[in-house]
Order: sequence, then C-alpha cells, then structure tokens
Amino acid sequence: MTGTDQATVTRGLPAAVGRLLAGVPLLGWLLGFLAAVLVERTIGDTLAQTLGLPKMPVLFGILTVSKVIAEIINAVVKNTAFDPALLVHIPAALVYLSVVYLLPIAAVARLGARAANRAAAIMDRWNLTIPAAVHIGLMYLTLHIWAAMSDYRLITLKITLIAVLLTLSLNIINGYMGEFSCSHPGFMAVGAYMSSLFTVGLFVDDKVLGKALMPWALDFLTFPLALIFGGICASVAALLVAIPSFKTRGDYLAIISLAFLFIIKSLFENLQGLGGARGIAGQPDWAALPVIFVVVGLGIWSINNFVTSTYGKALNAVRDDELAAEAMTVNTRQAKMTAFLVGAFWAGIAGGLLAHVVRYINPAMFGIQKLAEVLAMVYFGGLNSVYGSIVGAVSISLLGEALRPLEILKWIIIPLMLILVMIYRPTGLVAFRDFDLREAMKPKTEPGQRK
Amino acid sequence: MSLNFFMQNLINALQWGSFYALIALGYSMVYSILMLFNFAHGDIFMVGAYIGLGVSLVLLKVVGTGAAALVPGWVVLVATILISMFLTAFVGIIVERVGYRPLRDAPRASAAITGLMIGIILETSNILFLGGQRLAFPQLIESRTYNIGGIFITNKKIMIVVVSIGLMLALHQFVTRSRWGMAMRAMAYDFVVVPLVGVPLNTIAVMTFAIGSALAAAAGILFGLSYPVLDPYMGVSFGWKAFVAAILGGRGSIMGACIAGFMLGFIEIMTVPGIQIINRLFALNIGSNLRDLIAYSIVLAILIFRPHGLFGEPYSAKLRL
Amino acid sequence: MRHGRLLIAVLLCAGLVISPSVWAASDVINIGFPIPLTGDNPDVGASSKNAAEMYLKKFPTVKVGAKTYKLNFIYEDNEFKAESAVKALTKLITEEEVLAVVGPQASAQAVPAGEIANNNATPMISPWSTNPNTTLNRPYVFRGCFLDPFQGPVAANFVTEELGAKKAAVLYDIASDYPKGLAEFFKQAFEKIHGPGSVVAFESFTTGDKDFSAQMANIVASGADVLFTPQYYSEVPLIVRAAKENGFNKPIMGSDSWGSGDLMGLCGDDCKGFYFSTHYAAAGARGATKAFIDEYTAAFGKTPDDVAALTWDSLGIMIQAIQNTGGLSGDLKADRTKVKDALASIKDYPGITGKMTFTPEGDPIKCAVVVKINEQGQFAFHKSVCP
Repeated sequence: MTGTDQATVTRGLPAAVGRLLAGVPLLGWLLGFLAAVLVERTIGDTLAQTLGLPKMPVLFGILTVSKVIAEIINAVVKNTAFDPALLVHIPAALVYLSVVYLLPIAAVARLGARAANRAAAIMDRWNLTIPAAVHIGLMYLTLHIWAAMSDYRLITLKITLIAVLLTLSLNIINGYMGEFSCSHPGFMAVGAYMSSLFTVGLFVDDKVLGKALMPWALDFLTFPLALIFGGICASVAALLVAIPSFKTRGDYLAIISLAFLFIIKSLFENLQGLGGARGIAGQPDWAALPVIFVVVGLGIWSINNFVTSTYGKALNAVRDDELAAEAMTVNTRQAKMTAFLVGAFWAGIAGGLLAHVVRYINPAMFGIQKLAEVLAMVYFGGLNSVYGSIVGAVSISLLGEALRPLEILKWIIIPLMLILVMIYRPTGLVAFRDFDLREAMKPKTEPGQRK
Repeated sequence: MSLNFFMQNLINALQWGSFYALIALGYSMVYSILMLFNFAHGDIFMVGAYIGLGVSLVLLKVVGTGAAALVPGWVVLVATILISMFLTAFVGIIVERVGYRPLRDAPRASAAITGLMIGIILETSNILFLGGQRLAFPQLIESRTYNIGGIFITNKKIMIVVVSIGLMLALHQFVTRSRWGMAMRAMAYDFVVVPLVGVPLNTIAVMTFAIGSALAAAAGILFGLSYPVLDPYMGVSFGWKAFVAAILGGRGSIMGACIAGFMLGFIEIMTVPGIQIINRLFALNIGSNLRDLIAYSIVLAILIFRPHGLFGEPYSAKLRL
Repeated sequence: MRHGRLLIAVLLCAGLVISPSVWAASDVINIGFPIPLTGDNPDVGASSKNAAEMYLKKFPTVKVGAKTYKLNFIYEDNEFKAESAVKALTKLITEEEVLAVVGPQASAQAVPAGEIANNNATPMISPWSTNPNTTLNRPYVFRGCFLDPFQGPVAANFVTEELGAKKAAVLYDIASDYPKGLAEFFKQAFEKIHGPGSVVAFESFTTGDKDFSAQMANIVASGADVLFTPQYYSEVPLIVRAAKENGFNKPIMGSDSWGSGDLMGLCGDDCKGFYFSTHYAAAGARGATKAFIDEYTAAFGKTPDDVAALTWDSLGIMIQAIQNTGGLSGDLKADRTKVKDALASIKDYPGITGKMTFTPEGDPIKCAVVVKINEQGQFAFHKSVCP
C-alpha cells in the first residue's frame, strides 16, 4: 500500500462514516446507546474475559489504556518490572470499545434512522412535553443500566452530573453576564452546609448537631426541601456579592467575589456548631441516581429557560455594553441581581447534592482548588452555552477519572489540554450555542433524500 | 496592651506586607499594561524561590560555608538574588510566550484560565522533579535578634523591608524616568492604539513579564530567608492574595499595588492583636482564627466604598468577548 | 503489506490466548492503598507508598492456611480531596477487587471513605486519621494511630510534671482536623489540672499560613510557661523560628506529627531541646523498630515519619489478620468479612509503634512515648505513657 493510498483511506473513512450517520436524529442516537449498554450488560463480562482483560472496562476502555501507559512510563522511568502481556490490553480495550459501544451505536442509529426519524416527525407535532419525556426517559434508562454495572461508574456519574449543574450555574455569571466571579465554591459551601444542617440536624443522630429533632419514617421525602433550603440560603449569601456588583464591575467584582470565598471558608472553619474544620459527616444516603438526574435535569431546564428569556438577553446586553443596555431600558441592577441569585441557587443545590453523595463535608472541600476546577470546566466547555457547560463538565470529570492511573502526570496533561483549547478556541469548545430542546429532537433529513 | 506589643506587630506586619507588595508589584505590572490576570504569578514566585535555592546551593558549594568560606554570606546572598532574578525572568518570558501571547486577542478570562493552568503545570512539574517534599532554604546570613526596649527585631526583617522598598523605588524610577518605562505607561493607557505609533507591543510585553518575574524571584528568596521551608504549593495563596492587592491598588497604579500589598499585610497581621484587644475590652472570647474572615471583610468594605480600588480611575472594564 | 497486517492480527490473537495474566489471578491477594499521591500533601502519599513498597520487597508473599499467596498492592490517588477519596476507594473495591484497604491517611478523606468501605463490607484501616467519625459505628473500619483524647492528656501531664508549667499557650491550625482536635483535648486536659483559664493563649491560624508572628506576639504577651503546638513537621520550623524572633524562649512541646526525619533538616538547630509525644523514640530504638528505621533510611535516604511508621504497622496488622483467617475461600465477599472479624480479634499485635489491640470501635489501644530532641538532633527517649 502506498502513502497516498493510506491518506485517502484515513481522509475518506471518517467522512464516509459521517455521511452514513448524518441523518440520524437524537432519538436514534439514544436508542443506539441503549442498545450498546444492553449489549454490554449481556456480553460485557464474557467479552472482557475472552479478550484477556481482567475485568469489564469501566470508562469505555480509556482507563484500561491509560493504566497500561502508566505501567510503561513506570517501567521506563523507575525501572519497575513490566509485564509485556499487559500490552495486549490496549488492542483488547479498543476491540471492546468497538464491539460493545461503537458498532451497536452505529448499527442501531443507522438501521433505525428511518424509523427514528418517522417517530421524531410524529412527536414533533405534539406538545413538547411528550417527546421530551420520551427522550429524557430513554436517556435515564441508558445511564441507569450503564451505571448499574459497577459502583464506580455510579459514583463517577453522580459526581459528573453534579459538576454539570455547578458549571452551568457558574456559566450564568461568567458566560452570560460576562463577569469573572470567583465566589462559586462559596455558594456551593453554603448550599452543602445548609442542606446538611437540614437533613442531619432533623433526621440523624449526630455528634456535632445533636440528636435527631424529628425522626420520621418518610423523612427522605423532605430531601427536595433540604436542597431548596440550601439553594435559598446560597442565594441569600449571594447578596453579599450581588449588591456590590451594582457599582463594581470586572476586575473589582472578581476580587469582591474572591474575598467572599475567603470569608465563607473562614466562617465555616470557625463555626464550631457546624463542626468547624472537622465538618459534618453522616448525611443520609438520599442522593440516589434518579434523584440527582431529576434535579440536574430540572436545573438545566430552568437555567436554559432563564438564559433564553428576556432576563437572559438582558444579561447579554449588560455584558456587551452596560451603558447601552441601561439606555435601552434594561434594568441592569435587576438583571445582575437575578443572575447572581439564580446562579447561587443552583450552585447551592449542587452543593447540597454533593454533600449527600460524598456524605461528608468540610470547609476545605470548597476552597481555591474547587474554584480552579469549576472555572476550568466552564471555560473548557464554552461560555454562554448550555451545551458547552455539559461538554466541559463531562469531559473534565471523565478525563480526571480516566487518567487516574497516570497519577501526577494527569495534572500536566489536563492543564496542557486546557491551554491548547484556550489557544485554538478562546471561548471554549462549544461557546455561544443556544440549546433548544425542540430543535435538538427534530427529525434529520438523510443525505440523498428529499423531505 | 502596651505600646511594645503594638510596635512588635507593626514590625511583623511590615515584613509580611513587603512580600505581598513585591509579588503584587509584578502582578500589577502585567495587569496594568496588558490587562491580564496573571494567575501563574504566584507559582512563578514559587519557581523563583526554588531557583534561588538551587543557585545558592551551587554558590555555597563553590565558595564553601562557615569559617572556610571564600566570601561572606551576604555576598552569596546578593549573587543569589541577582542570578535568580535573571533566571526567573526567563521563566516569565516563556510563560508569556506559551500562555499569553497566543491569546492576545482572546477574551481576558481565557488568558486567566491559561495562567491558572500554567500555574498547575509549574506546581506539578515541581512535584514530579523534586518529589514533593519540603526543602530547607539555606541560611545565607546569620540571624541576629535585637531587643530594642522589648521589641524584637531581626537583621533579616530589616533587610527584607529595605530590599523590597529599594526594589520598588528602582522600579518606580524605571517606569517614570526611562524611555521603556514611558512606553510601558503608554501601553497601559491604551494597548490598541499605542502599538500603531511604533511602540513594539511584544517587546514591552516580554519586558513586563521579565521584570515582574524577576521581582517575584527576589520575593521568593527573601521569603526563603525568613520562612525557610519551601513547598510546591507555597505560591498559591500568595498568588491569589497578590491578585487582591494588585487590583485593590487600582489599575494603572503600580505604586498603588505596593501600598495595597503593604495594607493587606497590615490588615492580616493586625487583625490578630485587634481581636485580642476587643476581647479584653468587651470580655469576649473571639479566636484569632477569624483573621481571614475579618481581613477580607475589610477588603470587601473598602471595595464597596471605593469601587475602583484605592488609586485606580473609574473605567469601564469589559471582558473583550 | 496486506500480509503484514494479517500477521499482526494473528500475533495479537495469539497474545490474547497465551496471555498469562488472565489465568494467574486467583492466588494473588490485592490490597488497596487510597493515598494522596497528588494534591496539597504529596509527601504523605509518598511516605505511605514508600512504607508499602518496602513491605512488599521484604514480604512478597503471604501464607494463609496451607496456601501461599502473592501480595499485590494497588495505589490509587485520592488527590487529598474528599470526593476523589470516595471515587478512589469505590474503584479499588469494585474494580480492582481488593481484599482489604490500608488508607486513606487524612481524616478529610478517611471519614467519607470509611462510609464506602463499611457499606461495601470491606475491611479498611486508616493509619493516620484521628477524627472519631472515621470508625464511629463502622464495624469494617479501623485505625492505626492513637486518638486525641489520649494524646492530649499525655502532653498536658508531661508539661505539668516534667516542665513545671502552670500557664500554657497553644498554637494550632484551625482549618486542619488533626491539630485542631488535639489542641482542644490538650486545653481540656490542662485546664482540668490547673483550673479554667490556665491556657492563657489559644491561638490559631489557617492551613498554608507561613507567618505566625502576630500569634506569637500574643503568646509572648500572655506570659505562658510552655507552648504546645500540634502541627505538622513542615510548619514546626516556621513556628519555632517565629517564637525565637518574637522573644519566646520557653520550652515548646509537640505531637506525633513532628516525628519526621525531615524535621531536623528543615529546622536545624532551632528545634533542639524541645519535646514531642510520639509512637517510638528513633534514637536508641530496638528490635523491629530499629530494623524498620534502618531499612527505611537505607532505601529512601531519610528517616521515616509517623505516616510511614503507622502505614507499616497498619499494613502489618492487616496481613496478620488475613493470616489469622486460616484460609481464604476465594469468595471475595466472605473473605472480606472473615478478615474483618480476624482484625477485630487481634490481641497485642507487636507493631513497631507499640503493641496494638483494637477496641470494639476499631481504635487501637497503644502506648505513647515522649521524646526529646537532643543536642545531636536525634529523637531521644524521655518517657513512656500507657493508657
């Protein structure tokens, strides 16, 4: 085979795949994923065994590959023993990925494209709730089956979903309103502490917060209340940043928000009633996957509604030119205030969820490190975009897990990737894209087919 | 509460403030001239301290230590400071070239993120190459404590304050008197139009980063002398606090950053005796741990009443999206 | 070329079939180490890993019942973060299928991780965590170090009896679990002896602070006879120096977190003459303790710190428990429970940090030693205190 031949193949193949899959609607993709996880559930273990993998790869095989790479690096740098048989894991993981995920997804998406398009076209005529419910239901089903195969997947998925909510809530302030707010871990801390205070204080016997105030058999039903309580408290705390933002902008607001973060952290470290540096442990185990999925879904839905409403447009106006916005009768104060309150509310809820997933909180969890993490997610994914936040949060969280075996090198690779993204796409991967559910669920025209 | 006690804290605050001031100075130069949040600056300070450690160890090996030394300790110290400032300036230039120049036309926040990431890379590389353990900084000059009427002053404290103020004055002279300084000030005024009249933007940017990093290296070595335990994350909290000081000082005011740095140091140190005095006066029991809370509440209050910093001029700060 | 690709494919398939790692999994005992290899405190992770590697080199196999197993240690980075600790431990338990877990070290990771270990019925021993919540109501979770309610009074009694202190000052990190807990128990114990108000200065700072001059000025002004500072060895040099520079020339007392070989390297002459409570006295150590110190120093070029010593003992007691089960069935769930039961019933395990027996809560009962940093910079035995 000659060099040019090779080039046409590599250039031609993705394009061909792209052409082949162009006409697949969202519904088709979801069905494909569902098929893939069903395939994995039935044959995953057997396939992994046949391929010589010690266990079913958890994160699409990336983890397996990075583990082998880590072993090689260790062997080269530290002269540790390296078992060449491990090398087989790389092609094995790739085979596993293709057999379990890529092939079923492509096959179902392609073969079912016509049917999926027809279904999508029919649903398109109905009220939005029914197709939305169908899509979201399918998505949940897929995630549920995927996560049920391993506890590690489950916890990773939970924390990733929470990161999506947190990133999106920061995007309201940093993306849509164009400020550089550093206070988000602080809002999150308030939400986490207050919802823990609610659940642990009322329903759990605890050393720090004392005996349960009102033990009740159906206490888990109050979890939404606890989350909302946390969110509202975070909103109230956000007033400390929101009110100065009337007069202050840009860099000065950035350090006000940073000062806020230091203050909140110091406050929780000193409130002995809330455990001080030792934090609060023993939150009830109420944050199950469906709960998190519903809360995060609600969050995405309401934030999307907020940013596409006139309020959201007012935020964009304030970002682009505050004076002009004011002249165009935008109530800038109200716009800033709502942005901070909404952002802080959902950050508080994300904090509450996190507290009940990890089931332990302490002030150190909500420091500068968390700030760097969430800022990275927002700017990596893309400003001013719901898609962007989802992409950013999911990719950084998954990368963080998948590169785990590389240990310290992980913290060189992830920042380098971020720098590259910033250089080549300065506003992030998927910036300034509106998220329209109806648009996303529309049937697609297949290539070579007239509508 | 005696006067002694107050004076002792004042001197401690002066020393602590000079670190903030020196680091904020470099931060503020980048910030004023290029309008960038250089979030890697704290880690450049860390790198500067480690470079200083390496340089001083090499020098000590060459000239010998103790009684057998060829030259007195302060000569080694001066040489260490100068060599490390020179070397760290290159680190700053590389950071500018890799992380900031490609983003000259990007939104400022994106450059802030690259800065943050470069910082993480610097910390991680440190752990990677040096193993993450704490290292002791060699004591180049002998520490002497003077007891002046119950106030304890060390020779190092005096030296640190003098050297930092000297460096600040030198920088001030450079910025206000020299041609390059004038170019820098012009750039701070408007970095879109000024390059059009022939001022080389890239040269000025490189120079800004070089000077800022050199100052950070000086701060790192002085820090190593007075707090001789170096760790890879030592720059993080300094970086964020210098960020506060630089902006608190006001954009375009390099001396403002200095004063804000000293002020931040004063607020942080003086909160502790302040709490004690309040405790005595009102028979309360507030712990000194509320330091961060009180210090940053003061910062918050200052910004509420002076929304454009201490010496900054009101301007419309837009993130150029 | 086409043939070449075919050849590669055939070779790969052959590799799959003959890959030995697939079939050899059953006579290996996996032990997980969720430790902070990155994050704010990489040296804690490094010390734990060093101790474990040394153990593995010394005892690569273990005989349980009639069968000899190969030991396999899996290190998982928890980044010194609570969320990551939960993920790392879940990964170890469900993906790596470890039989038992040694770690995490700091309480901020050990408390949430303990919940995971207990829920998954996997025996876990945290060598270094002092927070009561780590083992509270968790039958599967144990710890390797003595607790604050024991060490605090040891220090308080020592400064009273040996140093004749009537007024004490405390300087501690409010934002860190271990120093804060210990500082409070010291205060409680000291005030029980000398009456309320005898701790004349109870000063604190926040993690990462480097300047203690303001707090030290308060301490000097309070007229305390002794300073108790339960801080990590990396902060001690700065505290001691701040004390000297602010004119505090009374004795300083520390806790087991001082006990690292790096302390003297960082502190130099400043720390000589001070005391701290710890697990063993490095100078004049005998038997297994001495062997451990010597081997560790030879292998890694520095004397072991408390993390390394406690990890060594925790690992040792865990292996002992695995041996005491008398034979593993190969069913991971049943074996884990068996190991937990064996661990709970171990009596007087002869560790290098003292004899260990677990209370029903999973906390060890062991003795403390007070050492003095002598003029040669060695940690010399001064006194032994047992509960």
